[in-house]
Amino acid sequence: MIESLNKAFCILPGVGSKTANRFVYHLLERDRDGGMKLAKALIDAMENVKHCQSCRALSEKELCNICSNTVRDSSQLCIVETPTDIHAIEQSGAYKGKYFVLSGYLSPIDGIGASELGLNELEEKLKDSTINEIILATNATVEGEVTAHYISNMARQFNIQITRIAHGIPIGGELEYADINTIAHALSGRKKYD
Amino acid sequence: MRKIETASAVLIHRRAYRDSSLLLDFYTKEHGRVRLVGRGIRKSKTSIQMFQRLNISFSGKGELKTLTQWEIDDSPREIKGGTLILCIYINELISVLVHDNDPHPELFDIYIDFINVIASLNNNQQLWLLRLFESNMLSELGYGLDYRIDLNGNEIDENKNYEYRQHLGFDEKVDGKISGKLLGSLVSSDLESLPDEGMLKVCRNLNRERLNLLLGNKKIRSRELFFVS
Repeated sequence: MIESLNKAFCILPGVGSKTANRFVYHLLERDRDGGMKLAKALIDAMENVKHCQSCRALSEKELCNICSNTVRDSSQLCIVETPTDIHAIEQSGAYKGKYFVLSGYLSPIDGIGASELGLNELEEKLKDSTINEIILATNATVEGEVTAHYISNMARQFNIQITRIAHGIPIGGELEYADINTIAHALSGRKKYD
Repeated sequence: MRKIETASAVLIHRRAYRDSSLLLDFYTKEHGRVRLVGRGIRKSKTSIQMFQRLNISFSGKGELKTLTQWEIDDSPREIKGGTLILCIYINELISVLVHDNDPHPELFDIYIDFINVIASLNNNQQLWLLRLFESNMLSELGYGLDYRIDLNGNEIDENKNYEYRQHLGFDEKVDGKISGKLLGSLVSSDLESLPDEGMLKVCRNLNRERLNLLLGNKKIRSRELFFVS
């Protein structure tokens, strides 16, 4: 039993058998209550958390809190690679629209094309006339850029404004320490100063 | 433990590996394709990019070696949109057709030439450069065709038409799809000899037939991205 618990902890990212052992002994020797709570919370979450039907983020209900929030602007749709990206954007507090989670990016070499990524689901969503703008917030990697390009082509037929998040020098960052690709991007994407 | 101090390389593919590492496929001038683990590289402030010449060092034995050091040995290129798809496509060709540790230094130079000029060309020129890349790649890998002589040993005539016969070469045919002029352009192998749009398509089909023979059951998935670009 101890061994199988150890193995179970090893599925977590960054946890090897040594760390798992520490978890096991901590729970068994010092915190049985906590362990029971953890077990219950895990079962609850595994059984009841699913993907939001609208944005595909994790949610306990059919529609997640963001999608069911009527105050949020449904004319803007921000497209992100992972649910953790939503969390990051939400923490910034700078966005009040809705989201769509791709759960990955286009990567032909790995055999991930438009159908594997479920982009037809996004296409269906774009047919909805309430959306005026899509914000492509995929990562600033080649794969993120390829994905953004593909989606922008797909969205063009719907007469929607297509924008891409800006890439450049991080706030509080110094030019001297930025890499040349970032500087080149920051310069080509410069904005009028007012 | 084998250690390689600075090799000229380009990154052709990356995927997440464990928590903060990346599995990186490089195409190097001296060592061909190598797969390396970039430990902790996802957390590094400077990100390792494709379509840029790099100097890399790596060490290790066995199949999976470790990237020990890398630096950019190039100026930044702005490759985006449809151009990016073409570049992804040639990366996939290299990834599928070039074998590990099988160096083709000339192909490396052809690759660098391709990414150097592709962004500055118009649509048809880009497609022609892509066809030339495929053709040069096939020759480098040992599957080249002689565009100067037909399968009967006669010189290709610019005013005649030809059909391609697998494994054999070009066969003169009055209603052949491939013009002698296109074959002449493939011999020149430069941007000035850009064929017309119709012949560009013929050349695409010719290259595709030759590549498919090498690919067997494997599919080049980047081709699916072309239709929108």
